[in-house]
Amino acid sequence: MRYPLLHATGIVATLLYAAFVVWVYATQPRTFKDVTQGARVAAGAYAVDASRYDTALSLFHRGLFRAAREEWERADPARADARTQFYIAYAFYREGWGRLYHDDALYGQGLQAADRALALTRAGSLIVDDPDLKMHTAAELKAELEKGRERSLSDLNPMRVLEERK
Amino acid sequence: MKDDPARRRAASRVLLLPLLFLTVTLLGGMRVAADRSFVFLPPPLITLVMAALLSSLFVRGRLVRLGAWLGSRHGVLTNVSHALTLLALFFASAQAFNSVLPEEGLLHWMFAFFFLWSLWNDQFSPFDPFRLLRSLGVLFGTAFVLKHMILAGLSAPGGSWTARIAAAIFQGLSLGALAAPPVAPATGYISFFTLALYVIGLALVAPAPDEPGDVRSLVTTDSRQSIVDSRQ
Repeated sequence: MRYPLLHATGIVATLLYAAFVVWVYATQPRTFKDVTQGARVAAGAYAVDASRYDTALSLFHRGLFRAAREEWERADPARADARTQFYIAYAFYREGWGRLYHDDALYGQGLQAADRALALTRAGSLIVDDPDLKMHTAAELKAELEKGRERSLSDLNPMRVLEERK
Repeated sequence: MKDDPARRRAASRVLLLPLLFLTVTLLGGMRVAADRSFVFLPPPLITLVMAALLSSLFVRGRLVRLGAWLGSRHGVLTNVSHALTLLALFFASAQAFNSVLPEEGLLHWMFAFFFLWSLWNDQFSPFDPFRLLRSLGVLFGTAFVLKHMILAGLSAPGGSWTARIAAAIFQGLSLGALAAPPVAPATGYISFFTLALYVIGLALVAPAPDEPGDVRSLVTTDSRQSIVDSRQ
């Protein structure tokens, strides 16, 4: 066989480029920035902005949930960090929680963030050890958000006003 | 370094051609929405059928001699490399169709029918590579002009009063069935670039991989004769 090195190089280059094409169609980036962010995530070189993350956490602990979410979105623009997505879901939960009724729209967005956190978490590897929280895993949070969106006769139970926010 | 034409041909075949066809595969489904965000449309099933018919034409028209590209006379690496090139050509063909096919509605099926009809008729026509390339050029060129110039012009937001009236008449006459989603003008440029790359790629494909460029069927006496015949 002639030029074995050339053929091997061609095969590797073709397979790598084909993988990139498949990745682009699978992830559907909307801008060049999405492409570079996605590439960094795929290469394992992606990290959340730590200072923004800390700022968001302090906003969250002060009850400024909307501001906290916006800051977390800026800290994790690729939505690729499970812990950040967990906190975003939690912020939706806390903002949407009400003693008399829960905000379905916020709970719905919270569910989406919880799903992202679960998708990014390998089984049992994410436990958020924050004493301010009463739920420490994305699965618990997801179940609570789903429960809040369900319609049942127990919604009419007056004792519901005594329920505590988690 | 010694200049080796065979080595240059091999480099073009195993590196340039697959990368060129994969670029067509990448860009063929790319659209730029009105808000300038990218949308990547995977090839619809119908374009895979068209690509299969076109691949059959490539073999019938001797643009690709399968026996010369793949076979036991080549080593494993060479066969794998050639198979990847042919696979890239298949997907590039599917995405080239995807690039000029309207995304939805009645027009999608009208264009699809037009392509399928042409490709099916071509299966039973005598072909040589030059005629095949010329026929493909006309087919893609017509579809490109219809989709990216005429239809895009009619569905573009804003524009002059004349354009708006023409668009309203077009929408009214077709009862909205011929409406196309508005896209940014960049989509047309991307499609043009994609089709140009695809045609360049096809022109670079040698019927047999080890054949020198000067004996390719595209420039053989037969092809020159076919040009002369068509002009008479």
